This record gives sequence, structure tokens and C-alpha cells, in this order.
Amino acid sequence: MAMRARQKIRAPRRGLNTNKNDDFETNWEGLSTSLKKIHTKDASNLSFEQLYRNAYNIVLMMRGEELYERVKMLEQGWLDTEVQKRVTVAVSSVLLQAMDQAEIQDQENERRDNGERFLNVLKEAWEDHQVSMGMITDVLMYMDRVVSADHKKPSIYVTSMALFRDSVLQSVVRADADSTVADVLKSTVLFMIQLERSGQMINRLLIRHCIYMLEGLYETITEEESSKLYLTMFEPAFLETSRVFYKAEGRRLLETGDAATFCKAASDRIAEERARCTSTLSPLSEPKIKDVLDKELIGSNIAEVINLEGTGVKNMLDNDRTDVLRNVYVLSARVDSKKTPLTAAVQKRIVEMGDEINKSAIAAAQAQPTRSAEKTAGSGKKSAEKPVNLQTMSAIKWVDDVLGLKTKFDKIWEESFRSDPTMQSAITTSFSEFINSNTRSSEYLSLFFDENLKKGIKGKTDAEIDALLDNGITLLRYVKDKDLFEAYYKKHLSRRLLMKRSVSMDAERQMISKMKMEVGNQFTQRLESMFKDMTVSEDLTANYKEHIRQAGDPDQKPVDLEINVLTSTMWPMEAMSTIKGDEVQLPCVFPKEIDNLKQSFEQFYLSKHNGRKLSWQASMGTADIRATFHRSSGKVQRHELNVSTYAMVILLLFNDVPEGESLTYEEIQARTRIPDHDLIRNLQSLAVAPKTRVLKKDPMSKDVKPTDRFVFNNDFQSPFMKVRIGVVSGSANKVENQDQRKETEKRMNDERGGSIEAAVVRIMKQRKTLVHSKLMSEVLSQLSARFVPDVNMIKRRIESLIDREYLERVGEDPPTYGYVA
Amino acid sequence: MSEPTVLRKDQLEISLHNEKKLIKEGAIKDDNPLDLSDPFRELCAACRKGDLKVCQEKISEGVNINARDPYDYTPLILASLCGHYEVAQLLLESGALCERDTFQGERCLYNALNDRIRNLLLEYDYSKSTDPIQPLAAHISSLITRDHPVTSDIVVTAEDESLYLHKFILSARSPYFRTKLAAAPDTITWKLPNTIPPQAFAAAIKYLYFGEASRELRSGPGTGFTESEVFTGIDRIAKHLEIDTLVDSILDSGDRRLARQRRTAELTKGRDQLEEWFRSNVLHNKLVVETSKAGDVKWDRNNAIFADVLLQADELLGDTDEYSNGALQPGDCADTGSKEQRQKSVLFPCHRAMLLRSEFFHTMFSSQFREAHLEDHLHIINVDCSPDVLEIILMFLYTERADFPLDVAVDVLFAADMLFIEKLKTKAAVVISTLGSGNMSQAEAAKTRGTTEEDDLDIYAIIRAAWMTRVQRLEEFAARYLAYRLEAHIDSPEFAQLIQESASRIQGRQETDSIELLDDIRFYLGERFRLRFTDAGLEEMMEEEAEQHATGAITNDGSIEEVIHGIETIDLTEKGVEQTSQRGQDHDHDIRNLNGEIVGDEFDQDSMNYDILMDKLDQILESLDLEA
Repeated sequence: MAMRARQKIRAPRRGLNTNKNDDFETNWEGLSTSLKKIHTKDASNLSFEQLYRNAYNIVLMMRGEELYERVKMLEQGWLDTEVQKRVTVAVSSVLLQAMDQAEIQDQENERRDNGERFLNVLKEAWEDHQVSMGMITDVLMYMDRVVSADHKKPSIYVTSMALFRDSVLQSVVRADADSTVADVLKSTVLFMIQLERSGQMINRLLIRHCIYMLEGLYETITEEESSKLYLTMFEPAFLETSRVFYKAEGRRLLETGDAATFCKAASDRIAEERARCTSTLSPLSEPKIKDVLDKELIGSNIAEVINLEGTGVKNMLDNDRTDVLRNVYVLSARVDSKKTPLTAAVQKRIVEMGDEINKSAIAAAQAQPTRSAEKTAGSGKKSAEKPVNLQTMSAIKWVDDVLGLKTKFDKIWEESFRSDPTMQSAITTSFSEFINSNTRSSEYLSLFFDENLKKGIKGKTDAEIDALLDNGITLLRYVKDKDLFEAYYKKHLSRRLLMKRSVSMDAERQMISKMKMEVGNQFTQRLESMFKDMTVSEDLTANYKEHIRQAGDPDQKPVDLEINVLTSTMWPMEAMSTIKGDEVQLPCVFPKEIDNLKQSFEQFYLSKHNGRKLSWQASMGTADIRATFHRSSGKVQRHELNVSTYAMVILLLFNDVPEGESLTYEEIQARTRIPDHDLIRNLQSLAVAPKTRVLKKDPMSKDVKPTDRFVFNNDFQSPFMKVRIGVVSGSANKVENQDQRKETEKRMNDERGGSIEAAVVRIMKQRKTLVHSKLMSEVLSQLSARFVPDVNMIKRRIESLIDREYLERVGEDPPTYGYVA
Repeated sequence: MSEPTVLRKDQLEISLHNEKKLIKEGAIKDDNPLDLSDPFRELCAACRKGDLKVCQEKISEGVNINARDPYDYTPLILASLCGHYEVAQLLLESGALCERDTFQGERCLYNALNDRIRNLLLEYDYSKSTDPIQPLAAHISSLITRDHPVTSDIVVTAEDESLYLHKFILSARSPYFRTKLAAAPDTITWKLPNTIPPQAFAAAIKYLYFGEASRELRSGPGTGFTESEVFTGIDRIAKHLEIDTLVDSILDSGDRRLARQRRTAELTKGRDQLEEWFRSNVLHNKLVVETSKAGDVKWDRNNAIFADVLLQADELLGDTDEYSNGALQPGDCADTGSKEQRQKSVLFPCHRAMLLRSEFFHTMFSSQFREAHLEDHLHIINVDCSPDVLEIILMFLYTERADFPLDVAVDVLFAADMLFIEKLKTKAAVVISTLGSGNMSQAEAAKTRGTTEEDDLDIYAIIRAAWMTRVQRLEEFAARYLAYRLEAHIDSPEFAQLIQESASRIQGRQETDSIELLDDIRFYLGERFRLRFTDAGLEEMMEEEAEQHATGAITNDGSIEEVIHGIETIDLTEKGVEQTSQRGQDHDHDIRNLNGEIVGDEFDQDSMNYDILMDKLDQILESLDLEA
């Protein structure tokens, strides 16, 4: 056993100890002639086993490194003498001359033919080299394993590839010229690409093969990905020429002056370059050429394209050219995730169109302000048939127009902007911008709801109503001052409820729940309690009637009382009563019958609810009275008059006035103590309105003056048994006049002041101490759901809270507040 | 059992109980069956002692290394418990299982003596698929889809699908094909009766090619066959081709554990079939001719055993150096021709499909050289090794079996290196380092300290072979071997030369000052003596050893500290050094004599021996450094 082991081991040791040079030489000789045969494609009769054994033996002799060097030399020699010559011969003078000039039209064909020939030769040389080296590497497998592993040398294949790079690609083409084969290759390929860009057919496959070569060669021996010749040598030049080309291309396209054409051409170019990267060049370049395109062709031109006069985005939006817009969007999205020029253009257009709508609404409202006011007087009931209230109409038209605009842009957003969230927020911003630039938007919107709930939804299906309300809600989303909207809505709602003008209570409730979803619980709380008051009041009325019946009231002429008890904090009392400021207003003097009734109810109510205070709002009520008209002919005509409570009080006065006698305005006022404002309006509707002239006024004029005298009009004529006598203005919901607006604003500001203080205290109670700027931002964020508070107002409120010792100043730099418990 | 969640103790007990029940019922096989046979007992004993040689012998005898003894110990548990790293490694390489989340596996892990062994065990978790036959199976399965280089010699067509197959595999794996092909060996196409769904046939073929049976039968809409049709098709084809276990293995593929066990059984069976076929066809048909006439042998492409290439190995001429040299370079014909003796050559008819497992052959058959062209007569390819070695290599390529004695191990190592068969190289290294280890086990070394036994292998040759074939494991083995017998080698000039060679090897690679071989020897020397130092002395010795290492590492510095230290150690053992240097290899004996007079304690003797040896290493180094 031992003998065997020893004996077998000796063989390699001999090679190690006695360098038998002749052995090495014999082995090498056999090997080198065979390697040459491989290069001359004469290898089919060579025996792999024999060549391998030659190499193996040399390596076992510990002379692997020498072998490695010899093979390297052999390859160097082969490349230098044979291959290099073959390649340089193929470089024609046309190619050399053309290198510097970018475009020479007259030599185009010649250059092209020569170029293809050259590329073919180069490609063949490269492929031959690859195949031969593959075979040689196979044979030298063992050497590679030993030498490369032990001595950290690159494998022979890698080395020979580097040799090809140095000896062939980087060899000088002519003795007198300093351009290398690689330079010629580069300029030729770029020339071909130039040809293709200008619309000619080229041999893509051939170029692809040459690019394969550049991709397979590296600058360094370690073969890092980034040192590919393609990346170091060819790609920068390619990108540079592309940059120049697309800069010019962009300018050329802009000169055509048509945005649609530009977008089409740009999209085509993008597709073309992508195809070029996969079929002709290397996929590695795809992102880079994309960058070039984005920067040169799109990025620097897109803003101009979007703003092109006549064909730009404005035109596309106006003509609903969704397909072109989509192109614009796609291009913009490539260069800029924010798509600034496009959003700017779209926003600008939205605001423009919005402003137009605003303007037309204001124009319509102001067209005949006086006339419309006149017309509404006394004909509020018939406003459905006639375009009486232009302002209300214009408010509704405004909402409709805005909704139309919204639908249009929603469609564009979906179809052209691929539901891009950035675009959506841009559109939303611009809508909210122009909607809020119209100071009356809250009022208009509330009027829109009012109009629809009163009349618009008659005969519509549930789904239609739903859609209608939803549209309104969408606009509500844009309105910043939600509290203002709430105030108007409350006002309009209270009228609808008290006057029973609502078409469908279901729709009202639906509306409330929609608002709740959109704006929040707090917002609708008061509205809901208004509804609650209404139902409670119904029960109350029924109970009171029951109570009267049981009490067996001796009153011969019972007056039916239908009462609505309203929680004063929930209802817009300010809007209903006409009390202004601190002016003390004595309550209206009711006729005796009514006063009895009032006292009886008060008794009934207070016995049920102890500690409450009832205040009567005569201005809100209505009354049905039966009037008897003694005609001069002796006939007696009866009419049932539906009038406001004040009107009833006025009319009842005339019960005690003898036939033919008259009462002056002052007398009436003295007896009833009805506020001036209400009295004038009621007298107007009773004595001025042509169809409901129950009283006669002297002198006959439109205005009611304190000196006017009134007399009961026994000649009152009406085709109907029941006559409804509305009160001039105030009864119908319509656009406020300037004074009212100021009023509302003032109220709004007071209310906001309260909200702000509440918010400040809430925050401070929680935080104890807080820096001024942080407090501001928290207040703003807390209140933004309802309205956008004025910063100065917040400051004033904070000052006031400090004065009242809710807060104290803690530090000056930065200004800090503390909560005083 | 493979759920990732950790089972509670009671759940674990239940699952163990269920498992036992299943095993009793015969539904599944026990992974670790009880084994009371003598060979297994010996294996267990060897594992306890750390006796690599016996372990290797028992493993090659075919003892089940996953069995357990009466105390539920498996050899792997024993080896890891007793801290024998090399033994544990050998067991794992030979297919011992240490699977996480099994009772025995976790036991093995928790028992491991130290982290080094534990990490070793974790490396061989089941997920790495330690089944030793797996590489062979993977290769054969890959043959179905491999299209370059072309190795198939029969095309089976079923409807529009064609499978490119290998007659020898079909014949080896299926009795049906064997008789068919024996009757008509030159068939090159075979058409499937269209009553059998092609999917069924494909599944059967996959099975014959060692593929894993799968439930995915490519049935269903679009294929024209329902699953049950395919299934009955498989049933029929299994009967037809006489491969009775196919249906079962497809049915069983749902249960992971059962499937695994069945697969192991299948692979073993398939391997045995291949082996039987290999023996009765390839080996049976080998030709012995004179070397000079070997080139005249013509085998027709169509032959009864479907061989497509002939491998030639030349016998050695006699035993002298000159002849063996000639044999190693058969291209040198003039040399051999001049000798009077007639050289014999052996030709093996082989199949490219199997040879492809060697990278050498794979490259050869994929290249554009002569060997890759198909001609009427089979190519004869010289393989530069003895016929015995070639037979071992072929056996390995065909069957994954690699059992060979120590005396050819070095030859196999070289041949495997030349042919790029990494696994066989490792195997050869294992054989050398285990069977060659002799009395090197730690327990043995304790008793036989200082004995001068006749070595049965030339360690200098081994270490050079290790360097040439780049087998790290063998280098370590040699260093260990030398360390345990350093007394016998340290003074020989050959050892000094070896150290120098090692130094030059490393310096050739990079400019470092450490000498790998010497470092290794020092390491194992420390390991050898550390075992017997007393607890009190151990730490001191460790420190000293560390210092020694440090000085060894910076020998060329020549720092003052080192010099002083060197003087100290020399002073301490002056006498011993003088004695040993005078009497050469028997210095241990002298020390024992001295022992009686000077110290009288075994431990002191050991530490003195250690010092002497370390000192000598330094001396060698010094002298070499002077030369260098």
C-alpha cells in the first residue's frame, strides 16, 4: 500500500524538480500549432483530449503561468497581424473623411455602403475571435482553473477579449491618421442612426451585432458592468448626437405651431427610440435616451406647446379634445410628476371660465334689480310661472353653470388625465378658487337647494333627486365658508318649514344626511333640531286642542291654534325677527280674542314645561280669517283670507271701525305696536298689491307713508274663495340686498368670533402653554372645516381672551401663551 | 412535523406517539431503526472514540448510519456529544440526518459539545438535501430537457409531442424496454400507441429518469384528457413498462414525509438498477487490447449496449519510475515503444450522457473538436489514468458509488482533478484523510505517545498532491498527521524542504509572512498536547502557546522580545534539546529516561515535549529564513 502511494506520487514531483524544458516545448509546440488551426477554422480534426492533455501536463509541470503568457503572446500576434489588417483595410477613405462632418448629403449613399461593408468585416472578425477563444478556453480549462485561481489573473478568455479591444478596436486606422477603428465604428453607427431618424431603412441587425461586440468588451480587466465599452465609448456620443437632434427637432415641431401635431410627433419619436434601443442598440440605453427625449424634446418645449395660441390646451379644453389632451398629459407626466405647465394651463382656464360664470350671474342679478323687486312684491306665489325673481334665477343659473363646468372637467380628468390625483387636486383648487371668489356662492348654493326643494324636485324620481342633491353637495365641498352656507341654509330651511313650502320631507332629510356625510355631524346638528322642533310642535298642537276640548272652553268662537314652538338657539331668530341692535321693541298688541288664546296656551305650555319662556314671533305666523264684504249692492261676499299674523291683527282692527271710517298709519301703529318695518310691508300687501287689496289707501301710491289713511275695502274682488295674501318680501326666499348682506356678515363675524374663542380655549385647556404660531395653526386647522378664519380676527380674539384673563402671556421670544385655569 | 410553529410538550408527545404507532403499523418507515448488529456497535464505539478510520470502514461496509443503539443514540449524536468534529463531518457527508424539528435532530443539536460542531450540524439541515444519491438523480432528470450536447439516441413520439430519450436508461430502468431493445437495439424511433395519454407517458418517463413524482399531471381543459383518464393511463403504462411503484409514488406525493421516504427508496432502487446494468453491460463489455492496437478497435454506432463513446486507459508498465512516467504521458509513443514489454490498454464502452457529469467531458462534447463530431465508429478517448482508476471513476459517474481502497486514492484524486469531478475529489480526500489517519485519533494518541509505528502512506507525497489538486481538507489532514508524529519527522531534511516549499507557495501568492503548513502544524500540536495538561497548567500553556503563535507569526521581525523568549525556552529544555538532537528520532525515549531523574510527572513530560517540538519548529524556521 505504502509503496503504491509513493510510487504514484512521484510523477508530478519529477516535473516539479527537474524542469524538462524539451517536454514543455514539445507540449507547447503541439498546442500552439493547434491553436493557430483553430483561428484559421481548421479545427474539426483536432482532438480535444490531446490538446487538453498537453495543457494539463504543462500545468502539472508547474509551468502554467508560462503557458498562460505564451498563449497570450500567440493571441496578440494573431490579432496584430491578421485581424487588424483585415479590419483596417475595410475602412474606406469616405468613412474617414466623413467622420468630422455631421451630414454630407451628396456622399450619403456611398458612405452608407462603405459603412455597412466595414461593419460587416468588423462583425465577422469579432465573431470569429469569440468562437476561437471559446474553443481555446475549453482546451485550456485546467490552466484557467489553476493559474487564474492561484495567481489572481483573469481567465485567458477575458485576457484575449482585452487583447481584441487593444489590438483591433483601438488600433489606428491609417498610419497618418489618428482615429482608431473604434472611432470609425462609432461615427458609422451614429451616421446610420441619423439615417434612420430621417426615415430611411438601415440594416438594424448588423448594427445590433456590432453593439453586441461593444457590450461584450470592457475597459478594465475586472469586467465591471459600468466599464463596458458600449457605455464608456459609444453611449455618450450617441446621447450627445441625440440631444442635438432632438433640440432641433423640438424647435422644428414648435414652428409648425400646432400642439396636436407636436404631441403626436413626440409620442412617435418616443416609441421609435424605444424600439431602436431594443432592436438596434442596447436596452441599457433605453432609460438614458428616454431622459434625453424628456429633457430636450418634451421638457423644454411642453410649456410652450401647452400655451400655444389657438391650438394649445385652452383650445383643447374648449373643444373637448380629450384624445389630444391625453397626449399632452402623457408627455407632461414623463417630464414632471407635478405637470406644472399643464396644471397651470388647466387651472387658468377653469378660473377664467368660472369667472365668466360669476360675472354673468352678477350681471344678470344687477340687470333689473329694481324691476325684479317690484315684480316679486305680491306675486311670490306665482314666481314659478314667471321669471319674476331674476336674482334668484341667476343664482340658480350660476349653480347650474358651475355644475356643468364641473361635469366637463370631470370627464376630461377621467378620459385624458387618467384620473391623476395631482390633476384632480389642481382642478379642485381652481374650482374652489373661483367659487370662493364669488362672495355670494354660499347664498347662491343655499338658494339652489331651496329652489329645488320647493319646486325643482316635483315629479322627479328618487334617483334624479339624489343626483341633483349630490351635485349640490359637490359644490358645497368647494365652498370655504361653510358656516355662512349653514346660516343661509338655516334661514331658508326655517322658512320652508314654517311656511310648509317643502315638497317632500324625505328629500329634506336626505339632504341633511348628505350634508352630514360631507361636512360632519356638528354642522347639521342645528338643522336636525329644527326638524325635531317641528314634530314636537305638531304633538303639542294636538295636545293643546285636546286640552281645550276637555276644559270645555266657553268661548263661542274658538280660534284654531296651530303652534310651532322653536328652540331659540337653533333657529335663525335674527333672520326672522326684525329687531335690530339693542332697540327695545314692545311686543305687538294682539286683539282680545287672540290675546286670550295666547294666554291660555302659555298657561298650558308652562304648566307642562316649567321655567321656560315663550316669546311670540308674530312676524312668522299666518292666520286664516273669514272676512265678510258688504257690497254696495247690498250683497254679502265672503272670502277666506290667508294672511300673516300681523295682517290679521291689522284687519281685526277694522272690525271695530265703523263702516266708511278710516284709520291712519299712525293710529294703526299706536294700537298694534307692530314694528314699522313689518307694518309697512303688511300694509303694502293689504293695500297696494293689486290682487289682494283688502284695504284701500288714501292717497293711492306705492309707498306707505305715516300720514296715509286706510279704509276697509268692501269692494274687494277675487275669483277665488280662498285668497292668499303674501307679505311683500321676506316671505319668499331670495337673494339678499346690500343691507341684508351687511347684516348677515356682521352676524357671521360675531358668530365666528365665538367659534374662534371657543377653539382657542379648547386648545389651550389641553396644552396649557403654547407658542403663538402653533396656536394659530391649530386654530386654523380646527376651524377649516367650517370656515377660513381671518388671522387678524384670531389675534384680536386672543387679545380679548387675555384681557378677560382666560389666557396669559408666558414668554416673549417666541411669544407664548399660557392657560389660566 | 414541518409546521413552523413550536409545539407544546404534550402536543409533541402526542405526535411522537402517533408516529410510533404509524411505524408499528408499517405505514411509514422509521428514520432511525433500532440496530443491534455488531458492525453498528463498532461504528458507535468508533464514534465515541473519534476513530475516523473505523468509521470510514464501517460506512463503506454499508452500515446504516442513521440507525440507533439500544439507548436511542445515533452515531451522529454520539460523535457530536463526544466532540469529534471530523467524525461528525464524515457522518454528515455520508448522509447522516440532522433535521431540525425532529426528535433525534434536536437532540443532536442540543447535545453538541461545542458551537463549532453545532454550526456544522446546522449547515447540514435537511433543507440542503443531503441525500447522497440526489446529484446523480438530478443529473439524470436533467437529461430529458438537456439539448446540448446531443446525447439522446431514441425519439419517442406521442401524438404531437416528442421525447428525446436514452436507450441505456430506459433499458436499465424498465424490464419492458430492456427486452424490447434487446430484440431490436438499433431502433431510433418509437411511436406510442395513441390510447395512452401523452401526459401519462411523460409522467412515466419522468419517473424513469429519477424525476420527482408530482400530482400535477397537466390534465384538465385544453389537454383533451381528464385527470382520471391520465391516471388510468399511468396505471396502464406502469403495468406495461413494468414499473410497479410509479402509481404509488404519485398517490403518495401528498404526504411530505411519506413521499420523502418513498423517494429515498426509489432513488436507491434506481441506483441499484443502474449499477447492475452498468456492471453487466459496461464493465462486462470492456476490452483488453495491446496499446499499440487500441486505435484499431472499431465499434459500430449501433451496438447492443448503446454505448456512444469508448474510453481508453493504459495499463502501467511495470513498477519502475521510468515506466510510470511513460504511462502518464502516453502521447510520448517513442518512449514506451522502445520498451520490450507490451503495454495493455483497456477500453470501456460508455455513454456520453453519463460522462457529462464531468466538466471535462461536458466541455469536450460541447466543443467543436473532433470528439464532438458523430461518426460511424465510436471515438476512442484516452483517459490518462490506470484502468482500475478509470473503472472507479465510471462507477462513480454512473452510480454515485465511490468506495475504493486507500492505495488508489491518490490516483483517483489526480484523475478526478484532471476530469473536473469535484465530488469524487472530495471523496478521495475523505478516503485518504480517514483511512490514512491510522492511529491518529485523539484517544489513541494519548496511549501511543512516542511510538514509532511504520507509516502506511507517504505524507510528503500526500501534502504535495493536496497542493497540486488544491484540496484544503487534505492539507489540513497532512498538517494534523505531521503534528501527531512530529517527533518522527521533525529532524528529517525532507520535512525542512516541505516547510520551504510551503513558504514559497505562499510567497508566490502574496507577500505574507506566515507559513500555512507550519501554522496548521502548530495548531494541531496544541490540540494534541492540550488534552493532557492539568487544569492549573492549562491556562498557562494556552498563554504560552498563544505567544508561541505570535512569535511564529512575526518570525521575520526579529523583535527583541522574541529573542529573549526564545532564549528562555531554550534554557528551560536545554538538556532535552541536546539529547534529542544527538539521538535523532528516538528523543521521546530519552525524555522518558530523563523523566525518571528530573521530573517524575507525566504532565511535566508532556509540556516539556511540547516545548521541545515548538522550539524545533522555530529552529527550522530560523535556518530556512537564513537561507531565504
